[in-house]
Amino acid sequence: MSAGLDNLKHIVVLMMENRSFDHMLGALMQKNPKINGLTGNESNADTSGAIVKVQPNAQFQSQLDPDPDHHFPGVDLQIFGGAPPAAGRVANMQGFVKDYFSQTKDVNRSHNIMYYFTPDKLPVLTTLATEFAVFNGWFSSIPGPTICNRAFAHYGTSFGQVGMDIFYILDNTIASIYERMIQAGHTAKIYYYDQPSSTMEIVNLLKNQPQIFATFDQFIADCSGNTLPDYSFIEPCYNDHPGADGGQVLASDQHPDHNVREGERFIGSVYNAIRTNPTLWQNTALLVVYDEHGGIYDHVVPPACPPDGYTASADATGTGAPFAFDRLGIRVPALLVSPWIPRGTVVTGPEDPANGQIFEHASIPGTVTNFFLNGDAKRTVREQQAKSFLGLLTDQMRPDDDCVVFNNLQ
Amino acid sequence: MAPKIIDVPKTDPGAYNPNRPAGTLLRSQAVHMREALIKHVHELTTLLNIEMSSLKTEADVSAYVHKATALLHTRTGKPAKK
Repeated sequence: MSAGLDNLKHIVVLMMENRSFDHMLGALMQKNPKINGLTGNESNADTSGAIVKVQPNAQFQSQLDPDPDHHFPGVDLQIFGGAPPAAGRVANMQGFVKDYFSQTKDVNRSHNIMYYFTPDKLPVLTTLATEFAVFNGWFSSIPGPTICNRAFAHYGTSFGQVGMDIFYILDNTIASIYERMIQAGHTAKIYYYDQPSSTMEIVNLLKNQPQIFATFDQFIADCSGNTLPDYSFIEPCYNDHPGADGGQVLASDQHPDHNVREGERFIGSVYNAIRTNPTLWQNTALLVVYDEHGGIYDHVVPPACPPDGYTASADATGTGAPFAFDRLGIRVPALLVSPWIPRGTVVTGPEDPANGQIFEHASIPGTVTNFFLNGDAKRTVREQQAKSFLGLLTDQMRPDDDCVVFNNLQ
Repeated sequence: MAPKIIDVPKTDPGAYNPNRPAGTLLRSQAVHMREALIKHVHELTTLLNIEMSSLKTEADVSAYVHKATALLHTRTGKPAKK
Protein backbone atom coordinates (compact mmCIF):
# COMPACT_ATOMS: atom_id res chain seq x y z
CA MET A 1 0.00 0.00 0.00
CA SER A 2 1.35 3.46 -0.88
CA ALA A 3 2.05 6.11 1.75
CA GLY A 4 -0.77 8.13 0.22
CA LEU A 5 -3.22 5.32 0.91
CA ASP A 6 -1.76 4.77 4.37
CA ASN A 7 -2.55 8.38 5.18
CA LEU A 8 -5.98 8.42 3.58
CA LYS A 9 -8.82 8.99 6.05
CA HIS A 10 -11.49 10.78 4.01
CA ILE A 11 -12.97 10.36 0.55
CA VAL A 12 -15.03 13.28 -0.73
CA VAL A 13 -17.07 13.08 -3.95
CA LEU A 14 -18.55 16.16 -5.61
CA MET A 15 -20.98 15.27 -8.39
CA MET A 16 -21.87 18.06 -10.80
CA GLU A 17 -24.52 18.04 -13.53
CA ASN A 18 -24.79 17.47 -17.24
CA ARG A 19 -21.59 18.39 -19.07
CA SER A 20 -19.49 16.18 -21.32
CA PHE A 21 -15.73 15.67 -21.11
CA ASP A 22 -14.98 17.32 -24.46
CA HIS A 23 -17.23 20.29 -23.66
CA MET A 24 -15.39 21.09 -20.42
CA LEU A 25 -11.90 19.62 -20.78
CA GLY A 26 -11.47 18.73 -24.46
CA ALA A 27 -9.37 21.81 -25.19
CA LEU A 28 -6.72 20.65 -22.71
CA MET A 29 -5.37 18.26 -25.34
CA GLN A 30 -3.68 21.29 -26.92
CA LYS A 31 -1.67 21.68 -23.69
CA ASN A 32 -1.14 18.01 -22.98
CA PRO A 33 -1.53 15.51 -25.85
CA LYS A 34 -2.08 12.69 -23.34
CA ILE A 35 -5.48 14.16 -22.49
CA ASN A 36 -7.95 12.57 -24.88
CA GLY A 37 -9.74 15.72 -25.93
CA LEU A 38 -10.38 17.54 -29.16
CA THR A 39 -8.17 18.05 -32.20
CA GLY A 40 -10.64 20.59 -33.58
CA ASN A 41 -11.62 18.37 -36.49
CA GLU A 42 -14.33 16.35 -34.74
CA SER A 43 -17.69 16.92 -36.37
CA ASN A 44 -21.34 15.97 -36.79
CA ALA A 45 -23.63 16.56 -39.74
CA ASP A 46 -26.58 18.86 -39.15
CA THR A 47 -30.08 18.26 -40.51
CA SER A 48 -29.21 20.08 -43.74
CA GLY A 49 -26.28 17.74 -44.30
CA ALA A 50 -23.66 20.39 -43.55
CA ILE A 51 -20.64 19.31 -41.53
CA VAL A 52 -20.40 21.06 -38.15
CA LYS A 53 -17.02 20.99 -36.47
CA VAL A 54 -16.43 21.43 -32.75
CA GLN A 55 -15.81 25.08 -31.93
CA PRO A 56 -14.34 26.87 -28.86
CA ASN A 57 -17.39 29.06 -28.46
CA ALA A 58 -19.04 27.73 -25.28
CA GLN A 59 -20.48 30.42 -23.03
CA PHE A 60 -21.37 30.32 -19.36
CA GLN A 61 -25.11 30.62 -19.94
CA SER A 62 -27.90 31.15 -22.48
CA GLN A 63 -26.41 28.93 -25.17
CA LEU A 64 -28.00 25.58 -24.25
CA ASP A 65 -31.60 26.63 -23.87
CA PRO A 66 -33.68 24.55 -24.42
CA ASP A 67 -31.97 21.96 -22.27
CA PRO A 68 -30.31 19.42 -24.61
CA ASP A 69 -31.95 16.02 -24.69
CA HIS A 70 -30.28 13.42 -22.50
CA HIS A 71 -33.06 10.89 -22.07
CA PHE A 72 -32.47 7.34 -23.24
CA PRO A 73 -33.80 7.60 -26.84
CA GLY A 74 -32.01 10.91 -27.38
CA VAL A 75 -28.69 9.57 -26.14
CA ASP A 76 -29.19 6.50 -28.33
CA LEU A 77 -29.53 8.83 -31.32
CA GLN A 78 -26.45 10.79 -30.24
CA ILE A 79 -24.33 7.63 -29.97
CA PHE A 80 -25.59 5.72 -33.00
CA GLY A 81 -26.41 8.63 -35.33
CA GLY A 82 -30.00 7.54 -35.79
CA ALA A 83 -29.43 3.88 -36.71
CA PRO A 84 -32.28 1.89 -35.16
CA PRO A 85 -31.46 -0.73 -32.52
CA ALA A 86 -30.28 -3.84 -34.31
CA ALA A 87 -27.45 -6.30 -34.05
CA GLY A 88 -24.25 -4.99 -35.57
CA ARG A 89 -25.08 -1.28 -35.63
CA VAL A 90 -22.02 0.86 -35.07
CA ALA A 91 -21.67 3.63 -32.51
CA ASN A 92 -20.30 6.72 -34.25
CA MET A 93 -21.19 9.72 -32.01
CA GLN A 94 -22.82 11.38 -35.04
CA GLY A 95 -26.27 12.23 -33.72
CA PHE A 96 -25.71 15.16 -31.35
CA VAL A 97 -26.55 18.00 -33.74
CA LYS A 98 -29.52 16.15 -35.20
CA ASP A 99 -30.87 15.45 -31.74
CA TYR A 100 -30.47 19.05 -30.58
CA PHE A 101 -32.25 20.23 -33.71
CA SER A 102 -35.26 18.21 -32.62
CA GLN A 103 -35.48 20.58 -29.65
CA THR A 104 -34.31 23.91 -31.06
CA LYS A 105 -36.04 23.57 -34.48
CA ASP A 106 -33.27 25.89 -35.61
CA VAL A 107 -30.36 24.56 -37.67
CA ASN A 108 -27.88 27.22 -36.58
CA ARG A 109 -28.76 26.90 -32.92
CA SER A 110 -28.43 23.11 -33.11
CA HIS A 111 -24.70 23.66 -33.75
CA ASN A 112 -24.28 24.94 -30.17
CA ILE A 113 -24.15 21.34 -29.00
CA MET A 114 -20.66 21.10 -30.56
CA TYR A 115 -19.27 24.08 -28.61
CA TYR A 116 -16.56 23.61 -26.01
CA PHE A 117 -14.88 25.78 -23.40
CA THR A 118 -11.37 27.14 -23.66
CA PRO A 119 -9.33 26.50 -20.49
CA ASP A 120 -9.14 30.21 -19.59
CA LYS A 121 -12.91 30.21 -19.05
CA LEU A 122 -12.75 27.34 -16.56
CA PRO A 123 -9.79 28.19 -14.32
CA VAL A 124 -10.89 25.92 -11.48
CA LEU A 125 -11.75 22.75 -13.38
CA THR A 126 -8.85 22.95 -15.83
CA THR A 127 -6.36 23.84 -13.11
CA LEU A 128 -7.39 20.86 -11.00
CA ALA A 129 -7.27 18.65 -14.11
CA THR A 130 -3.72 19.68 -14.94
CA GLU A 131 -2.40 20.03 -11.37
CA PHE A 132 -3.68 16.63 -10.19
CA ALA A 133 -5.25 13.68 -12.06
CA VAL A 134 -7.71 13.65 -14.94
CA PHE A 135 -9.48 10.52 -16.20
CA ASN A 136 -9.68 10.04 -19.97
CA GLY A 137 -12.11 7.16 -19.52
CA TRP A 138 -14.72 8.00 -16.90
CA PHE A 139 -18.18 7.37 -18.34
CA SER A 140 -21.67 7.90 -17.01
CA SER A 141 -23.16 4.57 -15.97
CA ILE A 142 -26.16 4.61 -18.31
CA PRO A 143 -26.77 6.34 -21.67
CA GLY A 144 -29.58 8.26 -20.04
CA PRO A 145 -30.50 11.07 -17.64
CA THR A 146 -29.63 12.17 -14.13
CA ILE A 147 -31.70 10.04 -11.77
CA CYS A 148 -30.54 6.62 -12.93
CA ASN A 149 -26.94 7.75 -13.28
CA ARG A 150 -26.75 9.24 -9.80
CA ALA A 151 -28.23 6.02 -8.45
CA PHE A 152 -25.06 4.22 -9.52
CA ALA A 153 -23.03 6.60 -7.37
CA HIS A 154 -25.11 5.74 -4.31
CA TYR A 155 -25.99 2.07 -4.84
CA GLY A 156 -23.77 0.78 -7.64
CA THR A 157 -26.92 0.12 -9.66
CA SER A 158 -30.12 1.86 -10.73
CA PHE A 159 -32.17 -1.31 -10.08
CA GLY A 160 -33.12 -1.46 -13.75
CA GLN A 161 -34.17 2.15 -14.17
CA VAL A 162 -33.12 4.18 -17.22
CA GLY A 163 -35.26 7.26 -16.73
CA MET A 164 -36.35 9.96 -14.33
CA ASP A 165 -39.12 8.07 -12.59
CA ILE A 166 -39.34 7.68 -8.86
CA PHE A 167 -36.48 5.62 -7.66
CA TYR A 168 -37.46 2.27 -6.14
CA ILE A 169 -35.07 -0.03 -4.34
CA LEU A 170 -35.95 -3.34 -5.95
CA ASP A 171 -33.34 -5.32 -4.04
CA ASN A 172 -33.27 -4.54 -0.33
CA THR A 173 -30.07 -6.52 0.06
CA ILE A 174 -28.15 -3.83 -1.85
CA ALA A 175 -27.65 -1.02 0.64
CA SER A 176 -26.56 2.49 -0.23
CA ILE A 177 -22.91 3.22 0.37
CA TYR A 178 -23.91 5.47 3.30
CA GLU A 179 -25.88 2.70 5.01
CA ARG A 180 -23.05 0.24 4.43
CA MET A 181 -20.56 2.61 6.03
CA ILE A 182 -22.71 3.41 9.04
CA GLN A 183 -23.63 -0.22 9.65
CA ALA A 184 -19.91 -1.03 9.72
CA GLY A 185 -19.18 1.67 12.28
CA HIS A 186 -17.83 4.25 9.84
CA THR A 187 -19.16 7.73 9.19
CA ALA A 188 -20.76 9.01 5.99
CA LYS A 189 -22.74 12.09 4.99
CA ILE A 190 -24.57 13.52 2.02
CA TYR A 191 -24.16 17.28 2.03
CA TYR A 192 -26.87 18.98 0.01
CA TYR A 193 -26.51 22.69 -0.59
CA ASP A 194 -29.48 23.98 1.41
CA GLN A 195 -33.10 23.06 2.02
CA PRO A 196 -34.51 24.95 -1.02
CA SER A 197 -32.12 22.93 -3.20
CA SER A 198 -32.13 19.70 -1.17
CA THR A 199 -31.09 16.31 -2.43
CA MET A 200 -31.69 14.68 -5.80
CA GLU A 201 -33.42 11.30 -6.31
CA ILE A 202 -32.61 9.73 -2.95
CA VAL A 203 -35.57 11.04 -1.01
CA ASN A 204 -36.04 7.50 0.27
CA LEU A 205 -32.84 8.03 2.20
CA LEU A 206 -33.88 11.53 3.24
CA LYS A 207 -37.06 10.06 4.66
CA ASN A 208 -35.60 6.98 6.32
CA GLN A 209 -32.04 8.00 7.15
CA PRO A 210 -32.18 11.74 7.93
CA GLN A 211 -29.06 11.48 10.07
CA ILE A 212 -26.88 10.97 7.00
CA PHE A 213 -27.80 14.37 5.54
CA ALA A 214 -26.39 17.80 6.25
CA THR A 215 -26.08 21.10 4.39
CA PHE A 216 -23.07 22.54 2.60
CA ASP A 217 -22.52 25.03 5.42
CA GLN A 218 -22.00 22.02 7.67
CA PHE A 219 -19.46 20.60 5.21
CA ILE A 220 -17.46 23.81 5.48
CA ALA A 221 -17.70 23.64 9.28
CA ASP A 222 -16.76 19.95 9.30
CA CYS A 223 -13.69 20.67 7.17
CA SER A 224 -12.46 23.47 9.40
CA GLY A 225 -13.36 21.61 12.59
CA ASN A 226 -11.71 18.32 11.61
CA THR A 227 -15.04 16.54 11.90
CA LEU A 228 -15.41 15.43 8.29
CA PRO A 229 -16.89 11.91 7.96
CA ASP A 230 -14.94 9.07 6.42
CA TYR A 231 -17.02 9.41 3.26
CA SER A 232 -18.78 12.55 2.02
CA PHE A 233 -20.94 13.09 -1.04
CA ILE A 234 -21.62 16.71 -1.99
CA GLU A 235 -24.55 17.97 -4.02
CA PRO A 236 -24.36 21.41 -5.63
CA CYS A 237 -27.21 23.91 -5.61
CA TYR A 238 -29.78 22.80 -8.17
CA ASN A 239 -31.83 25.97 -8.59
CA ASP A 240 -31.80 29.77 -8.32
CA HIS A 241 -33.63 30.86 -5.18
CA PRO A 242 -33.74 33.61 -2.57
CA GLY A 243 -31.35 33.08 0.31
CA ALA A 244 -32.35 33.01 3.97
CA ASP A 245 -30.72 36.42 4.36
CA GLY A 246 -32.69 37.86 1.47
CA GLY A 247 -29.80 37.54 -0.96
CA GLN A 248 -29.59 35.60 -4.19
CA VAL A 249 -28.53 31.95 -4.26
CA LEU A 250 -27.49 30.79 -7.72
CA ALA A 251 -27.62 27.25 -8.99
CA SER A 252 -24.07 25.89 -8.96
CA ASP A 253 -24.71 22.48 -10.55
CA GLN A 254 -23.77 23.65 -14.10
CA HIS A 255 -26.88 21.93 -15.49
CA PRO A 256 -27.85 23.82 -18.66
CA ASP A 257 -28.90 26.62 -18.58
CA HIS A 258 -27.40 27.37 -15.15
CA ASN A 259 -24.33 29.53 -15.06
CA VAL A 260 -21.15 27.46 -15.50
CA ARG A 261 -19.00 30.03 -13.72
CA GLU A 262 -21.06 29.69 -10.53
CA GLY A 263 -20.30 25.97 -10.66
CA GLU A 264 -16.61 26.75 -11.05
CA ARG A 265 -16.79 28.83 -7.91
CA PHE A 266 -18.55 26.01 -6.07
CA ILE A 267 -15.92 23.45 -7.09
CA GLY A 268 -13.26 25.92 -5.94
CA SER A 269 -15.03 26.30 -2.59
CA VAL A 270 -15.08 22.55 -2.00
CA TYR A 271 -11.40 22.27 -2.92
CA ASN A 272 -10.38 25.22 -0.74
CA ALA A 273 -12.29 23.88 2.27
CA ILE A 274 -10.08 20.79 2.15
CA ARG A 275 -6.92 22.43 0.88
CA THR A 276 -6.74 25.14 3.56
CA ASN A 277 -6.85 22.68 6.47
CA PRO A 278 -3.33 21.19 6.54
CA THR A 279 -4.43 18.07 8.43
CA LEU A 280 -7.37 17.38 6.16
CA TRP A 281 -5.42 18.16 3.01
CA GLN A 282 -2.90 15.39 3.52
CA ASN A 283 -5.45 12.70 4.39
CA THR A 284 -8.29 13.41 1.95
CA ALA A 285 -8.96 12.43 -1.66
CA LEU A 286 -11.44 14.61 -3.57
CA LEU A 287 -13.17 13.26 -6.67
CA VAL A 288 -14.94 15.81 -8.88
CA VAL A 289 -17.18 14.12 -11.42
CA TYR A 290 -20.29 14.87 -13.53
CA ASP A 291 -23.38 12.68 -13.46
CA GLU A 292 -23.89 12.56 -17.23
CA HIS A 293 -23.08 14.49 -20.39
CA GLY A 294 -26.35 16.42 -20.63
CA GLY A 295 -26.75 15.81 -24.37
CA ILE A 296 -23.53 17.72 -25.18
CA TYR A 297 -21.01 16.38 -27.71
CA ASP A 298 -18.21 14.00 -26.80
CA HIS A 299 -16.15 12.14 -29.37
CA VAL A 300 -15.38 8.91 -27.47
CA VAL A 301 -17.64 5.93 -28.08
CA PRO A 302 -18.96 4.54 -24.77
CA PRO A 303 -17.60 1.04 -24.20
CA ALA A 304 -19.44 -2.15 -23.33
CA CYS A 305 -19.61 -3.11 -19.67
CA PRO A 306 -20.62 -6.08 -17.52
CA PRO A 307 -24.42 -6.43 -17.49
CA ASP A 308 -26.11 -5.15 -14.36
CA GLY A 309 -28.43 -8.11 -13.87
CA TYR A 310 -31.43 -6.00 -14.85
CA THR A 311 -33.11 -5.39 -18.18
CA ALA A 312 -35.05 -2.24 -19.00
CA SER A 313 -38.02 -3.00 -21.21
CA ALA A 314 -38.50 -1.58 -24.69
CA ASP A 315 -41.25 0.61 -23.28
CA ALA A 316 -38.94 1.94 -20.59
CA THR A 317 -36.08 2.74 -22.97
CA GLY A 318 -38.33 4.34 -25.58
CA THR A 319 -36.12 3.05 -28.40
CA GLY A 320 -38.20 0.02 -29.29
CA ALA A 321 -35.56 -2.30 -27.87
CA PRO A 322 -34.78 -3.45 -24.32
CA PHE A 323 -31.52 -2.48 -22.65
CA ALA A 324 -29.43 -4.96 -20.65
CA PHE A 325 -27.18 -2.36 -19.00
CA ASP A 326 -24.30 -3.69 -21.04
CA ARG A 327 -23.05 -0.36 -22.43
CA LEU A 328 -21.92 2.70 -20.49
CA GLY A 329 -23.19 6.21 -21.03
CA ILE A 330 -21.29 9.09 -22.56
CA ARG A 331 -17.96 10.27 -21.14
CA VAL A 332 -17.91 12.91 -18.41
CA PRO A 333 -15.23 15.04 -16.75
CA ALA A 334 -13.64 13.39 -13.72
CA LEU A 335 -10.70 14.55 -11.61
CA LEU A 336 -9.00 13.16 -8.54
CA VAL A 337 -7.32 15.64 -6.20
CA SER A 338 -4.82 14.84 -3.46
CA PRO A 339 -1.33 16.06 -2.58
CA TRP A 340 -0.23 12.44 -3.06
CA ILE A 341 -0.95 12.65 -6.80
CA PRO A 342 1.82 13.90 -9.10
CA ARG A 343 1.07 17.01 -11.14
CA GLY A 344 -0.22 16.31 -14.63
CA THR A 345 -1.38 12.74 -14.02
CA VAL A 346 -3.50 11.50 -16.93
CA VAL A 347 -5.33 8.20 -16.44
CA THR A 348 -5.62 6.80 -19.93
CA GLY A 349 -8.87 5.30 -21.12
CA PRO A 350 -10.11 3.46 -24.22
CA GLU A 351 -7.60 5.29 -26.44
CA ASP A 352 -4.93 3.14 -24.74
CA PRO A 353 -6.08 -0.47 -25.27
CA ALA A 354 -3.03 -1.94 -23.51
CA ASN A 355 -3.10 0.08 -20.29
CA GLY A 356 -6.20 2.24 -20.33
CA GLN A 357 -8.79 1.97 -17.57
CA ILE A 358 -12.55 2.45 -17.73
CA PHE A 359 -14.35 4.06 -14.81
CA GLU A 360 -18.03 4.72 -14.22
CA HIS A 361 -20.13 5.85 -11.27
CA ALA A 362 -20.28 2.35 -9.77
CA SER A 363 -16.55 2.96 -9.17
CA ILE A 364 -17.60 5.38 -6.41
CA PRO A 365 -19.35 2.99 -3.99
CA GLY A 366 -16.97 0.30 -5.21
CA THR A 367 -13.88 2.28 -4.22
CA VAL A 368 -15.33 3.42 -0.91
CA THR A 369 -16.44 -0.11 -0.04
CA ASN A 370 -13.08 -1.59 -0.98
CA PHE A 371 -11.11 0.99 0.97
CA PHE A 372 -13.13 1.36 4.17
CA LEU A 373 -14.95 -1.98 4.33
CA ASN A 374 -12.44 -4.28 2.65
CA GLY A 375 -15.07 -5.02 0.04
CA ASP A 376 -17.35 -6.55 2.63
CA ALA A 377 -20.86 -5.75 1.37
CA LYS A 378 -23.48 -7.26 -0.90
CA ARG A 379 -22.88 -5.58 -4.26
CA THR A 380 -23.94 -5.82 -7.87
CA VAL A 381 -21.64 -7.38 -10.44
CA ARG A 382 -21.25 -3.95 -11.99
CA GLU A 383 -19.94 -2.51 -8.75
CA GLN A 384 -17.73 -5.49 -7.99
CA GLN A 385 -16.07 -5.13 -11.38
CA ALA A 386 -15.84 -1.33 -11.33
CA LYS A 387 -12.30 0.04 -11.13
CA SER A 388 -11.08 1.62 -7.92
CA PHE A 389 -9.66 5.13 -8.33
CA LEU A 390 -7.37 5.26 -5.30
CA GLY A 391 -4.43 3.57 -7.01
CA LEU A 392 -3.34 7.03 -8.14
CA LEU A 393 -2.15 7.96 -4.66
CA THR A 394 1.62 7.55 -4.50
CA ASP A 395 4.32 7.42 -1.82
CA GLN A 396 5.34 11.02 -2.40
CA MET A 397 3.40 13.90 -0.90
CA ARG A 398 3.82 17.18 -2.72
CA PRO A 399 4.98 20.12 -0.58
CA ASP A 400 2.42 22.69 0.47
CA ASP A 401 3.75 25.38 -1.83
CA ASP A 402 3.37 23.04 -4.79
CA CYS A 403 -0.44 22.86 -4.56
CA VAL A 404 -2.66 25.70 -5.75
CA VAL A 405 -5.17 27.70 -3.74
CA PHE A 406 -8.17 29.48 -5.24
CA ASN A 407 -8.95 33.07 -4.35
CA ASN A 408 -11.88 35.45 -4.56
CA LEU A 409 -14.53 32.83 -3.76
CA GLN A 410 -16.50 34.77 -1.12
CA MET B 1 7.60 29.82 -1.13
CA ALA B 2 3.84 30.44 -1.08
CA PRO B 3 1.47 28.25 -3.10
CA LYS B 4 0.25 29.49 -6.43
CA ILE B 5 -2.97 31.47 -5.97
CA ILE B 6 -5.55 31.51 -8.74
CA ASP B 7 -8.24 34.18 -8.80
CA VAL B 8 -11.67 32.87 -9.72
CA PRO B 9 -13.83 35.45 -11.52
CA LYS B 10 -17.18 36.43 -10.06
CA THR B 11 -20.36 35.16 -11.69
CA ASP B 12 -22.23 37.68 -13.80
CA PRO B 13 -24.84 39.28 -11.49
CA GLY B 14 -27.40 38.90 -14.27
CA ALA B 15 -27.12 35.12 -14.00
CA TYR B 16 -29.73 34.97 -11.23
CA ASN B 17 -33.12 34.04 -12.62
CA PRO B 18 -35.47 32.34 -10.17
CA ASN B 19 -38.23 32.79 -12.75
CA ARG B 20 -36.51 30.46 -15.21
CA PRO B 21 -38.93 27.64 -16.13
CA ALA B 22 -38.11 24.51 -14.11
CA GLY B 23 -36.60 21.75 -16.23
CA THR B 24 -37.27 18.03 -16.18
CA LEU B 25 -34.77 17.37 -13.42
CA LEU B 26 -36.24 19.86 -10.96
CA ARG B 27 -39.80 18.82 -11.70
CA SER B 28 -38.78 15.19 -11.11
CA GLN B 29 -37.21 16.21 -7.82
CA ALA B 30 -40.49 17.75 -6.68
CA VAL B 31 -42.42 14.61 -7.70
CA HIS B 32 -40.01 12.43 -5.75
CA MET B 33 -40.36 14.64 -2.69
CA ARG B 34 -44.12 14.42 -2.94
CA GLU B 35 -43.97 10.65 -3.13
CA ALA B 36 -41.88 10.55 0.02
CA LEU B 37 -44.33 12.86 1.76
CA ILE B 38 -47.27 10.64 0.82
CA LYS B 39 -45.53 7.65 2.38
CA HIS B 40 -44.77 9.78 5.39
CA VAL B 41 -48.41 10.80 5.79
CA HIS B 42 -49.51 7.21 5.28
CA GLU B 43 -47.29 6.04 8.12
CA LEU B 44 -48.46 8.90 10.29
CA THR B 45 -52.10 8.10 9.59
CA THR B 46 -51.56 4.44 10.38
CA LEU B 47 -50.08 5.34 13.74
CA LEU B 48 -52.86 7.84 14.52
CA ASN B 49 -55.49 5.21 13.78
CA ILE B 50 -54.15 2.81 16.38
CA GLU B 51 -56.45 2.69 19.40
CA MET B 52 -54.53 3.55 22.56
CA SER B 53 -56.53 0.89 24.41
CA SER B 54 -55.09 -1.73 22.09
CA LEU B 55 -51.61 -1.20 23.53
CA LYS B 56 -51.68 -3.89 26.21
CA THR B 57 -48.10 -4.96 26.75
CA GLU B 58 -44.75 -3.28 27.04
CA ALA B 59 -43.90 -4.69 23.63
CA ASP B 60 -47.04 -3.09 22.17
CA VAL B 61 -46.15 0.28 23.64
CA SER B 62 -42.51 -0.09 22.68
CA ALA B 63 -43.40 -0.81 19.08
CA TYR B 64 -45.73 2.21 18.96
CA VAL B 65 -43.29 4.56 20.62
CA HIS B 66 -40.51 3.35 18.39
CA LYS B 67 -42.46 4.18 15.23
CA ALA B 68 -43.73 7.48 16.61
CA THR B 69 -40.28 8.55 17.70
CA ALA B 70 -38.79 7.68 14.35
CA LEU B 71 -41.45 9.73 12.58
CA LEU B 72 -41.22 12.68 14.93
CA HIS B 73 -37.46 12.67 14.90
CA THR B 74 -37.35 13.10 11.13
CA ARG B 75 -39.62 16.12 11.52
CA THR B 76 -37.41 17.75 14.12
CA GLY B 77 -35.42 20.68 12.82
CA LYS B 78 -33.39 23.21 14.71
CA PRO B 79 -34.40 23.82 18.35
CA ALA B 80 -37.05 26.48 18.69
CA LYS B 81 -35.71 29.91 19.53
CA LYS B 82 -36.47 31.07 23.04
